[in-house]
Amino acid sequence: MRVTIVTFRDIFQSEAQEIDRFSEEYRKMSAVVFLDKSDAVKAGVKEGANVLVESDNGRVVVVARISENAHPGLAFMPNSPWSNRLVPAKTDDTRIPSYKSISAEISATEDKVPTVEDLLREMVS
Amino acid sequence: MAVCTGCSLLCDDIEVSIDGRSITRTKNLCRKGFGRYRSLTSDRSVPRVDGRQTSIQEAISRAAEMLRNARRPMLFGWSCSTLEAQRKGIELARRARAIIDDTSSICQGEIVDMIIRRDIPSCTLDDVRNYGDTLIFWGCDPSSSHPRHMSRFSYYPRGEKLQRGHEEDRTAFLIDIRASPTAKILAGNFVQIPPGGDSDLIDAMLAVLDGKIPKVKDKKALISMMNTLKKADMGVIFPGLGLAYSLKGRMDRLKALVDRLNETTRYNVISMVGHYNMRGFNQLLFDETGFINRVSFADGVNHGPMYSVVEASKSCDLAMIVGSDPISSLPAGIAKALARVPMITLDPHRTLTTELSRVVIPTALSGIEAGGSALRMDGVRIEFDAIVKSEYPSDEEVLSRILEEI
Amino acid sequence: MVSAMEIYQLTPKLNCKKCGLPTCMAFAVALLAREKQIEDCTPLLEPKYEAKLKKLREVMAPVAGATETGLIIHDERCYGCGNCVVACPVNVANDPKGSAIGLGPKSDKVILIVEDGVVKCLNPKECRRFGPNRILCNLCTATCPSKAIEFV
Ligand code: SF4
Ligand code: SF4
Ligand code: SF4
Ligand code: SF4
Repeated sequence: MRVTIVTFRDIFQSEAQEIDRFSEEYRKMSAVVFLDKSDAVKAGVKEGANVLVESDNGRVVVVARISENAHPGLAFMPNSPWSNRLVPAKTDDTRIPSYKSISAEISATEDKVPTVEDLLREMVS
Repeated sequence: MAVCTGCSLLCDDIEVSIDGRSITRTKNLCRKGFGRYRSLTSDRSVPRVDGRQTSIQEAISRAAEMLRNARRPMLFGWSCSTLEAQRKGIELARRARAIIDDTSSICQGEIVDMIIRRDIPSCTLDDVRNYGDTLIFWGCDPSSSHPRHMSRFSYYPRGEKLQRGHEEDRTAFLIDIRASPTAKILAGNFVQIPPGGDSDLIDAMLAVLDGKIPKVKDKKALISMMNTLKKADMGVIFPGLGLAYSLKGRMDRLKALVDRLNETTRYNVISMVGHYNMRGFNQLLFDETGFINRVSFADGVNHGPMYSVVEASKSCDLAMIVGSDPISSLPAGIAKALARVPMITLDPHRTLTTELSRVVIPTALSGIEAGGSALRMDGVRIEFDAIVKSEYPSDEEVLSRILEEI
Repeated sequence: MVSAMEIYQLTPKLNCKKCGLPTCMAFAVALLAREKQIEDCTPLLEPKYEAKLKKLREVMAPVAGATETGLIIHDERCYGCGNCVVACPVNVANDPKGSAIGLGPKSDKVILIVEDGVVKCLNPKECRRFGPNRILCNLCTATCPSKAIEFV
């Protein structure tokens, strides 16, 4: 199921980030995607289930949440190292990355949500 | 009274009770700011060289040596350092003939640039509180990013000319793609746009101002909004990351709207800068070089996109990161390139970037363990003192010592 | 939030007046307004109403944390943004140099303050929803971005 991912900032996530970026708390609040009800049904995804989010740039497994505030076709992710896996490394003339709207495919998965350490390991591999 | 460095509002009415080295109670800090205060005791970084724990002095000496030997160093971060530290940082960049860039390069730099160059008018947040009767929050969610913005300055407080506060004297609009927490409190004046729809909305707003029929679904709502905007005594636009990213490379669109609104009445722009002293760095570098970011001192002063963190991460042979976590905040593909470069990182906390750095130098938390000054999002200078004793040196101290040794 | 009707369903429905009120429904209303306590209904303490009692205690738990004006604070949802602090007309009137102009309260006569990142209620009796001249003020709850404060 194809959606446009929009990143945003959440105060509880910011709070967790201030306190400890390696905490389970921070991961829980960051590694999530908020889907519209109808999109979740289409993708065969239940609240709290793991989903694979895949853009042209990269892929990441996060937890799906059904949101009242999402729109069909739009999905929201808190800005984090998890969402940054999806942001294109290629930039236009401004050299400002396109953090805010990313086209991505969403599907159910059995894979685990990576920890910050997993993300770091992949970074240096 | 203490100052909070949790965001670029630099709230200076914080009351803190301290028992020895620990903070026992705070008043007036929002949740985000309280998180920053709590971080005093959480997950602090330790001095390290090549994966081995060492003394701060040794880490500093190693950093100086690496900088001396580098041919194309990049110095990045800066938005969470005091003006005093930033000044040293710019001096160090000159001495090391380095590229220097800050986080504005990947967020609101284009808007801050226009404000600092006076291409668009701006004012202080105190002016907003006293006179700002018509507000537009655009592509931002102040409730989440700057929790006290609306209560301290923009919407709820009473001001000199606005004694009746938000109920009668102020009107605030929110333009965003997401029904954010702020949208809940401004529900009646929430204009929801599709991703990337900012430019079209500006066209429609300009059309109404020219007396034409706008090409939008809800014509009535837009026309009524524009009528309200025209009646302002003093209007203020607060653009956030949403607008910055949507209009990147086309900021003249924002300027066109602001200019047009200013033909009728006064409209100012204050950029919703995130980190507590990004505005300070941009101002300092501008005063010294004529550019707010993306400067190379390799051969005099040069400026351009090739000196942006996005490009320099791929081309530099050494990166010094000050108070920032680019490995976390850059797109993974660019962070990967940066991770291949030897990094020296100054940070109070363990971050993704410190984990991958050759040299880690722990620093004091500014506002809590280190004093100094910073520029609020509106450019107003705020000074602060340390409120607890610290075993860690400030960024400024570390940079001075590197400068001495280099 | 629990309603008087739901509470009524959990009373013994005997209308025995032992609680000092004419009907169980009146008791339910009084309970919600915190004018009565669960234990005032003595029949409910009998073993046969054990399940009802347990359930009633559960639904009443959040209400028990409410102040005399019925204000309930959900700490875990609060942003500490201070919108309610600055918008409350009593805060404004009692604290012209502090909350009225957006700053942290400088007077101890305010109702709402933010401490350790979360809102607290100090002088509930000052609230306009309290006392003989009470009015249905809701400025604090209307300004909240996260429904962290509610009235019963
Ligand atoms: S609004 Fe910003 S500066 Fe003010 S207390 Fe909150 S985090 Fe700190
Ligand atoms: S004491 Fe209990 S059962 Fe009797 S009237 Fe009051 S509420 Fe009803
Ligand atoms: S109900 Fe009105 S008076 Fe009472 S705390 Fe809320 S805003 Fe203040
Ligand atoms: S209760 Fe609501 S309005 Fe008051 S400080 Fe908390 S989040 Fe802000």
